[in-house]
Amino acid sequence: MAIGDTIPFTSIPWIDALFVVFAGVTLLAGLLVVTMRDIIRCGLAMMVAFGGLAGIYVLLGAPLIAAAQVLVYIGAISVLILFAIMLTETKDAPSRLVFQTQAVPAAVAAVLLAIVTMLAIVATDWGELAERLTTATDELARVLFADWILAFEVVGVLLLAAVIGGVFLAKRERTDEAERPR
Amino acid sequence: MIRIIGTTILAVVFIVLLGLVSLATGGADSLDAYLTVATLLFAIGMFGFLARRNAISMLMSVELMLNAVNLTILAFGAFVEGLAVSGSVIALMVMAVAAAEVTVGLAIVIAIFRNKKTPLVDEYDAMRQ
Repeated sequence: MAIGDTIPFTSIPWIDALFVVFAGVTLLAGLLVVTMRDIIRCGLAMMVAFGGLAGIYVLLGAPLIAAAQVLVYIGAISVLILFAIMLTETKDAPSRLVFQTQAVPAAVAAVLLAIVTMLAIVATDWGELAERLTTATDELARVLFADWILAFEVVGVLLLAAVIGGVFLAKRERTDEAERPR
Repeated sequence: MIRIIGTTILAVVFIVLLGLVSLATGGADSLDAYLTVATLLFAIGMFGFLARRNAISMLMSVELMLNAVNLTILAFGAFVEGLAVSGSVIALMVMAVAAAEVTVGLAIVIAIFRNKKTPLVDEYDAMRQ
């Protein structure tokens, strides 16, 4: 490695610093997604959260998944959601009331879930853990197209069905509306 | 200008704070730190799904939760011997299914919007009337 394992002049490892940045960006952007008033900005914050997650995936030794995250989530799903936001924009949006009446119980439930799960994570003895393993892309391809080939094909059919279903559902039914009196 | 600088400083402070909270359960070389990030992200997504009024906001929260689960799968794959490749494959499958889910979900939201002229879910009360 050209640069050392730790940040120069300190004893902080690079990986810890990168993890802090990526995790912080992801969580802050996630919080902004669920709390901001303007929904377009929520969509943009969601792209930032996905980007931070892609960074964490790289730290976890899964570079192919990180690339897929950037392509699928930042590239495709975010654009789809932004288009849907623009299609469903009403005159009175952004609405003054962002949250429903059950927002406070929902917040309590979310905090409780986080606390309980974190306690469980800390309390659990995971046994013998490996060092951070890296997934080699060629090995992944071999496993994907040998052991998981049925799941791969089924996912392909599912995507086709989803595309056809999405087009059918979102299609404007002009002829019906013109003929049928309301 | 001051406002921009202030917001930037606040964002950096928050980022470091949230990151350190995640790191507190162990360094970046431990499984616990990644699981903590996933937990917090899942809780955030759950809050958003339960609390937001806009249907598309709810779909975005579902995406956050799916990503949190994906992160869990990849974290276990990276730290448990013999799971790494299968974990990556499962993460890819989850991504594909999430793409299908968001396609159909947004199509349904747009179809409802065409009838009701609003994206707010608490006004979808046709069954009650």
